[in-house]
Formats: sequence, structure tokens, C-alpha cells
Amino acid sequence: MSLLELERVSKRRESGAAGRVALREVCLELEPGELVVVWGRRRSGRSTLLRVAAGLEAPDTGVVRFTGHDLAGRAGQALRGGIGHCSTVFRPDDGRCVVDQVMLGLIARGLSPSAGMEGALGALERAGVAECAQLRPGELDGGEAARVAIARSLALRPSLLVIDEPTLGVDLLARDGILLLLRSIADEGMAVLASTGETTGLAGADRALSLGDGQLRGTLSPRLAPVVPLRGPVRPRASA
Amino acid sequence: MLRGAMGGRTAVESVVGAAVRPMTSLVNWAVLGLVIERASYGYELVKRFERKFGDVLALSSESHIYTALNELARRGLVEQAPAQPALPADVGRQPRPHYHATADGERRYEEWLIAQIHQDERRSRLFVRQLSVLAHDPDAALHVVERYEQACLEGSRDAPIASRDDSCEDARGELIARLISEESRLVGEAMLAWVEYARTELEALARDRGGSR
Repeated sequence: MSLLELERVSKRRESGAAGRVALREVCLELEPGELVVVWGRRRSGRSTLLRVAAGLEAPDTGVVRFTGHDLAGRAGQALRGGIGHCSTVFRPDDGRCVVDQVMLGLIARGLSPSAGMEGALGALERAGVAECAQLRPGELDGGEAARVAIARSLALRPSLLVIDEPTLGVDLLARDGILLLLRSIADEGMAVLASTGETTGLAGADRALSLGDGQLRGTLSPRLAPVVPLRGPVRPRASA
Repeated sequence: MLRGAMGGRTAVESVVGAAVRPMTSLVNWAVLGLVIERASYGYELVKRFERKFGDVLALSSESHIYTALNELARRGLVEQAPAQPALPADVGRQPRPHYHATADGERRYEEWLIAQIHQDERRSRLFVRQLSVLAHDPDAALHVVERYEQACLEGSRDAPIASRDDSCEDARGELIARLISEESRLVGEAMLAWVEYARTELEALARDRGGSR
């Protein structure tokens, strides 16, 4: 049993008149301690894949299992507590400073303010942005914002971190630090599933996958060889 | 004149001929680069070679460095430096022969580096031409393109993360590591853009073939 398992997952996006297939019978398995990065062009469906994998969206067809249990339905809500979904576009403007933002999730889980503060500071320290604790989100640069977003997820101690484009908008010198942080998080035993629109985001991954035309390609399970489908006749695009 | 053992050439012709042959050994060029970086002796060169090039080039043995130095010296690209003053720690030891690059060695190294760009272009063209022989079977060509994409992704995955590079001895080493990292990733990006283009073209060709059958 894998920590996360997507089995023949399909999802259609209803953007535009015709809509489009974002995911086409996608299969994927992830184990604890793995860093798996999905590369794809803009509108390739990579963000949809991550939202489906995190249980935030249900697939049209197929199954998403976390620790062996289907994420669909009511039981999935409890399971989702073990999954941290993280968007690095972290710019809330509600007047709270960074540490207060990070501790929100902990307070919502019933921790006392002091325990929440302790947990938030620990997560910021782990993400390498302890010095940003008292800043407003608007004062963070791209790299700091990404690290704070990661800290907000880490504070909840998930066993799977799903992170959409962790290096988007991060300058060259800060980017490698983010990749190293994700690598170290996986090395500590957490599974990390990330997306990237640039191959620069693939460095350090255990598996590099590509998503295009709704198809996920590469080593879809740590126990399998890379999937390079032997092609039959090419499908007409109109069927997408 | 001595003939026979040298394939009909004279000894002088043989030596002169060897001297003008292009130096193709990547190890020799790497050693020349290390000597240009700073004058050095054999053992230190072995260690620096392993740190800088160990992931992409292999020495057959430590003596490989000396073979390379001899070849570089024979071609006038490096020469032995005057004996270094003995350090207190070196008293009683054999003086280490240091090598430094000649002006010709530095010039030739720069020319060789630039020529590598054309080698890469040549390899790329060759790959595309070799792929084109599969154009009669677009599905087979697409399969090769899929595998090529996977190889590109794996290359990007394995690109070093600059600040994790253990070979960084100083700020200059870190800069070099970042330059290498960025070059390999951007090349990967360009290769994937080509894969996307090739896939679109080949899929269109496959559809046309399918429709005309």
C-alpha cells in the first residue's frame, strides 16, 4: 500500500466553450520520503493534478487513495488532515504578521495560543525564515514568501506535502535554497509532491514526471520502470 | 632513415605528425584547465580533478594525470615551473615538480572551449537527422521523442543544486557550481521545448498518414 495512490484518475476542466481534458486516466504512487516533481507547460493540468491528489477536488472518474483509503466522501475530510496543500502565492492582506498567519491552522486545530505560537515559530525556523516572523506578508520577497507558505503547511505536520510551483517568482539565488529545503523535508520522511513549469524546479527530485495532453509520463511508481507508452495511432485532438 | 615500425613514416615525421594531431582526450583538456586555474603538482591535480570532474570524467588511475601532463608538456601547453621553495613541513621530501600553463596552452584551451559549442550543435543536428529516418513511421518517431523527453527530465532532475555541491571550496567555486547548474538546466529547458514542437509535428504527420490510409 502506497501513502498516496491515484488510480486511473480523469478530470475535465470546463474552461471555454468546449472544455478540455486536464487529466486522462492518470496513475501515480508516492511513498514516504519521496520527492516527486511534475513538470508541465502552462495549462497542462499540473495544478489540477495536485489539487486532486490533495483531495481538494474530486476526480470525474478514478480513485485517489491516501494511506489506502479513498479520499472521496466524508471520510476523506479526516484523511486530508494528513495532507498539506501549499500554494506559494502567499500574500494575505488581513493585517496579521507572518507568525500569526502560520499559527492560524494550529489554533483551528484546537491548540492553545502559546502552543500555536511555539509550533509556528518552530515551523518558520525549519523553513529557514525565523527572522520573518514579525513581518507583514507584503514585506516578504518571493523566496521568503515561498518558505513561509511551506512553513504554514509544515506546522500542521502532514505526512504528505503537496506544493504547487514552489519556485515560481523566486529569484535565481533563492531558488536552490527552496529546492534544498524540499529535498531535506523528504529526507526526513515526509512525502513531497510538487509541480513546476520550469525544468529548474526538477533538481534534487527522486522522480521527475511530465504532464501534457492530460497524460502523466515517467516513473509513476517507485517500484516501476519509467512509463514510455508504446504508441498506438495518435488520437485526433478533437476528442480531447 | 628509420622506416617500417612506424608504418612507413620516419621517426621525425611520426613525432611531428603526432604533435599536430588534435588533442581529443577530454581528460587532457580537463587537466590543462586545472593547471590554468593554478600551477599545481601531480597529486594535488588528482584530488582537484576528482572534485571538479569526478562526476563526468574518470581517471584510469592516478598515473593518468602524469600521462596527461606529459602529453600537455610535449605539445607545449604546460611546462614545469622552477622548483618551489621548500616549506618547513616539506623538509626531507623530494621537491614536487609544479606545472603551469604556457601562453599557448591558455590560448588553445580557450579555443577548445569555444569549439565545444559547435560540437554540441553538431550532436543535436545529428540526432535530429537520425530521428528523421523514422519519419515514415511517425508513431515510432514519437516513441523515440517520448524517451528523449524522459532523458531530458532525468537530466534536469540530476542537475546539481548549487549550494549542495561539495566541491565548493570558496566563493569562486560556488559561482562555478551555480553557472554549471544554470547552464545544464537551461539546456534541459530548451530540449523540452524542442520535444514539444517535435511531438506536435509528428502527431500531425501521424494524423495525416492515418487519414490518407
